[in-house]
Amino acid sequence: MDTSDQEKIERRVFTSFFQGGFIEAFTGIFLLQLGFPALFSRSGFGDWQSALLTLPIALILLIVVFLVRRFVVIPRLGRVKFLPERRRKLSKLIIVPVLTLIAGAIVGYIFAENASLRHIFVGQIPFILLPIIVFSAAAYFLDMKRLYVYGAIVGLIFPLGKYLETVIVSRNTLPATILFTAFVFLGIAIVFLVAFLRKYQEPEV
Amino acid sequence: MKELENQGKKKTTDSLSEIMNIDRLVHSPARLSILTYLSVVEEGDAVYLLNQTGLTWGNLSANVTRLQEAGYIEVVKEFKEKKPHTLLKLTDKGRKAFQGYQNKMKGLLDIKGLFPGRDVE
Repeated sequence: MDTSDQEKIERRVFTSFFQGGFIEAFTGIFLLQLGFPALFSRSGFGDWQSALLTLPIALILLIVVFLVRRFVVIPRLGRVKFLPERRRKLSKLIIVPVLTLIAGAIVGYIFAENASLRHIFVGQIPFILLPIIVFSAAAYFLDMKRLYVYGAIVGLIFPLGKYLETVIVSRNTLPATILFTAFVFLGIAIVFLVAFLRKYQEPEV
Repeated sequence: MKELENQGKKKTTDSLSEIMNIDRLVHSPARLSILTYLSVVEEGDAVYLLNQTGLTWGNLSANVTRLQEAGYIEVVKEFKEKKPHTLLKLTDKGRKAFQGYQNKMKGLLDIKGLFPGRDVE
């Protein structure tokens, strides 16, 4: 067993702590945060109102996910303090929300200044690139390759929704596409959690 | 040519004699597994080791005790949320022993001719 083997074992151990559908639930909530404001704003609510209506839903779901992880998943997997190198890499994960905020602010500013951009293809590029960048950063810092795939899926939803709008003419086609994908991810998360609970019993000490 | 062959034979004999000096405490599959999983973290609890190694409570406990007695691992028993919680950590001595074992085994497995199809790099 050489260093690279040990690195593989360390990576496997680290990623095993994300079992139980945590990543899928998080992706689903991320998509809900995109889908609900789109749905609300198309139902006559203003942009700020739509965002404020979405926030409690996302917050409640995030709290549920973290509570399940804290009280159901971790006690079954055991508690571990990872090596300093891993903790350093993990601490850089803070770059992900910062990156999201900066990119969101830039996109918001560009759109506010050039309203015409919303109606042409160029306007879709940030919605494709933003999730890909955010998910890729998370994939790198968490050493989880499937996050690259999730980033690509999330990035493709917006153009897919826009395309479906041309096929199924309805003002709710785009939000419905995003929300459908969000619920698929949340469904997968529940399936993973059930499978996890079947595999790991609560230890009797 | 003959001298080279003799040198090779001597090297093989020396390396084979290393087998006798291998750390038997580390060499057991259960203990090797425990040390491996403790070497990739700073510290971990018994549940973590139980899941990763696939050992039973009894087996894990017996092997942990042996490693603890040898000073290879440190065991801290505490109460977390009114439940007993056992935290395990590889000591410097344990890390050295584990690395020494790895190097010795790697050296042994790299001997040309000992394992057909495996060449010295």
